[in-house]
Amino acid sequence: MSTTEISREMKKSSHVQISRGMKTVLSATVVLFIASHFIAPSSTSKGAVLGMLPFAAVLAIIGLGQTLVVQQGGIDLSVAGSVSLAVVFVTRLPLEHNDRLWRAVVVAVFAAIVAGIINGILISLIGINAIVATLGMSSLQYAVIMAISQGSPRQTTQLLLHIMSNLTFGIPRAVYYAIATTIVVTVLLKMGVGGRRFEAVGANPRAGRAIGLKVKQTQISAYVLAQLLYCLGGIVLAGILAQPTAYQGDSLVLPSVTIVVLGGTSLLGGRGFPAATAVAALFLQQLNQMVLALSVPFGVRTLVTATALLVGIALYTIKWNVVRDKFSELTGKKKSSTLANA
Amino acid sequence: MNKSRVFKVASGLGVAAMLLATSLTSAATSSAAAKPSWCGPKKITMALTDGFGGNSWRLVTTASAQDEVKLCPSVSKLYYADGQGNVSKAIADVKGFVAKGVNAVVVFPDAGQAMLPTLRAAYKAGVVTVPYRVFPGGKDGVDYTAFIGTDFKQAGINWANWALKNLPKGGNVLFLSGPAGNSQGIDEAAGFWATMKSHPEFKKIGAQPFEVTNWDPALSQQVLTAAIAANPKIDLILSDFGPSLVGALSAAVKTGWKVPALAASDGNSLGCFWTDNKATQPDFKLYTVSTQNDHARLAIDYAVAKATGGTLPGKVYPSLAFEDSVSGKPNPVQCRKDLSPNIYLSAKLTGAQQVALGIK
Repeated sequence: MSTTEISREMKKSSHVQISRGMKTVLSATVVLFIASHFIAPSSTSKGAVLGMLPFAAVLAIIGLGQTLVVQQGGIDLSVAGSVSLAVVFVTRLPLEHNDRLWRAVVVAVFAAIVAGIINGILISLIGINAIVATLGMSSLQYAVIMAISQGSPRQTTQLLLHIMSNLTFGIPRAVYYAIATTIVVTVLLKMGVGGRRFEAVGANPRAGRAIGLKVKQTQISAYVLAQLLYCLGGIVLAGILAQPTAYQGDSLVLPSVTIVVLGGTSLLGGRGFPAATAVAALFLQQLNQMVLALSVPFGVRTLVTATALLVGIALYTIKWNVVRDKFSELTGKKKSSTLANA
Repeated sequence: MNKSRVFKVASGLGVAAMLLATSLTSAATSSAAAKPSWCGPKKITMALTDGFGGNSWRLVTTASAQDEVKLCPSVSKLYYADGQGNVSKAIADVKGFVAKGVNAVVVFPDAGQAMLPTLRAAYKAGVVTVPYRVFPGGKDGVDYTAFIGTDFKQAGINWANWALKNLPKGGNVLFLSGPAGNSQGIDEAAGFWATMKSHPEFKKIGAQPFEVTNWDPALSQQVLTAAIAANPKIDLILSDFGPSLVGALSAAVKTGWKVPALAASDGNSLGCFWTDNKATQPDFKLYTVSTQNDHARLAIDYAVAKATGGTLPGKVYPSLAFEDSVSGKPNPVQCRKDLSPNIYLSAKLTGAQQVALGIK
């Protein structure tokens, strides 16, 4: 991407506008809810929606973290370890004593910051591939988890259950936390100079460096903020599940990447769309709920997330006009060679 | 050294020797008295390997196996390795112990068929090879010494008989098990529905043969929410890992849902959930079968008997009823709030012993 393109990109995002990803994912979500109502009515009943929303909220918060990393051209596989570690900290350290909960939260946040800094240093300063570094971090976090918990679960404190699971105005509280987090991340990315710099560095670190941006600090901050969001997601998750396991983050890695892609953030880095990511979380969770209500075989259920990811990539990341040009170039060549043969 | 000092030292030594001798004889007599029939005279070393050792059920199971070995003085050493959910490590662990020269190896083959070539190699190398609980394929005496299984069908039959007694009008039955296609869930479902063949008043609801939950609380919660939404009337829930369902049940109770009858496997957290909710949930009857931590003991007994020349025990660990909230037989529902929710009161190891293993 050239400097003029960057400035165009920066200009484009200088005022809040509804992105293509947001339009797509929002309309897809509306269509999905209508379709669910007719295909699997039980999945849109009050109980099912109230049961689905807290999980969508957790996924949204974690997806916001993944968005920041993807914007920097990375991908964060330490979601598994980070979320699990936060869950283990806030359930194992207090051992069901409410008064010990805050201390556990502080420890969890501290651990998240440390993990983020290590990830950032490994990837940005030392130049290790993001997949390798974050995979290693996840293993490290699992080692800590095993040391603390021996893998056995523990019940969530009543206080955390109360904070996360209760309803306010008929809606699970986790939803409010997800909305608030989305607003904060959106404001950070879209309203300030810092956010614009963040996007510019993600789109092209070299160009960013050339125009005097602090590339390495920006990249490290992405990993730290991401870890903090995973940590928050883990704490909310621990409050939703009365008795979480020590490996609760395992099943969130693929969905977290999927919703980032569905929200229109390119896997190649650059602009990010936090609000669209959050809506995509709702979309994916409802899609799962609908498939669950249809009682389809488990094999089909596992394909849902993967298919959603493929569709997302097909929609936003692949430049179809380039593919089409290449294809017509190829077939054109073929045609001309057939003609020559004739 | 003067005479009196020599006398003092000598008498001291004498007393010490006598004490030592007494304690040795008493140890010998106690071990001789307690020496079980499966413990033969030949001296051996052996190994125990786990495919995945990282949860409280496995901790208790492994400790039960170690406790069992202590009963047989012919076993001079028991090695242990945890595959940590990694199939290649689990394979390397078994191979490593065979190379070390152990006489017997007891294997929890989580990876199933993937472990068979390794088991066969160990068996062909002359090591007494005893896989247990998860069927790895193959045959006794060809691919390994013997497979020590349990009758999961019997658990299903036990649940069914309890349901027939306690739900005379029948009802809708929802079964939640672990990963898709796991043989435990399939056998339990088969046992349950075979018993219910002449009882059409019991109807299957949800995915068949069971709803897949991976024994994961988050997935269990989502699956139960979907099942409750789709089926306003659920009369009986079956679960083969009861404690993994506690979170989902508590979440559902918060929405005003009434817990129906539940037939499951035991766990302290489940027992305490029943105890906490029995007053407000009139339909919540609870029946559990033992979660079978002591299955590992039978596998150890068999391997030791074969390697030391003792009397061979049976090859199938029985599925036993543990708690019944209605009849109180064989036990009323157990809840030890003073101990960890993650212990299993059906195990031979006491709750306090399990807590001592580090289970908090």
